[in-house]
Amino acid sequence: MPLVERPKPVQLIDTRIYVVNQETLEEFLAEFESVNGNQAFIALSIKDYENLALNVAELRRYIEQQKQVIIYYETAVGPNSDDQVISETTLED
Amino acid sequence: MGMKIAAAMAAVLFTVCGLSYWYYQSSQATIATLRENNAQLEVAVDTAEASINSLQADMAKFAEANSALQKQLQQAEAYGDELQEKLRRHDLTALALRKPKLLEGKMNGATANLWRELEEVTGGDGSQPLPKWLQSDSEGTGNQDSDQNREDSSATGGETQASTTD
Repeated sequence: MPLVERPKPVQLIDTRIYVVNQETLEEFLAEFESVNGNQAFIALSIKDYENLALNVAELRRYIEQQKQVIIYYETAVGPNSDDQVISETTLED
Repeated sequence: MGMKIAAAMAAVLFTVCGLSYWYYQSSQATIATLRENNAQLEVAVDTAEASINSLQADMAKFAEANSALQKQLQQAEAYGDELQEKLRRHDLTALALRKPKLLEGKMNGATANLWRELEEVTGGDGSQPLPKWLQSDSEGTGNQDSDQNREDSSATGGETQASTTD
């Protein structure tokens, strides 16, 4: 059985995280504006960041396990496991 | 009288010879059929034995593959388990209040590493250079969890892409 080509690998873009508290807020705002040209940003609480990290970890687990299951089936249908069909033999009377 | 007996004997002899010939021919035909059947049965037995051997080899291969699969499935749980353990051990809120830059560096390093590992998991090489902003992190701790051997060959790295994300 011919194996199906795998999908192309993911190409991920780096994401930058800023950790800010009350003391570093002013410094962060200035630095952020100098880098991004504005002061618009999306904030996450520590708990939500943890949840996000755990969610990504769960997705990673699923991807890895799915990949291993695919490898298992690829091994199962590989060239060495062709089913040998017992041919019927017709006996004469 | 003698002629009649001779004729009768000849008739009996002829009949016996005929029957013998017929029996011989019939026996030869039966023997030929049986030989042919025997040859076919031998082929069938050989085929069945080959099939059994093949199935046994496949079963051994499947058992080995299944064992490897279970091991790999278990290993895939490791990252999430380690992360949960890390989050349990470290109070990120306290760390964010005391050492925000340290935490920021660790988070960015771990995140960059995670993206590259995900690229590897899906078949990529995960060798994308680290973004410049991560390499030049003021605390220098951001790369602790990242691959230190990576060289940034691009001036912009992920910064351009990250800053243009709409």
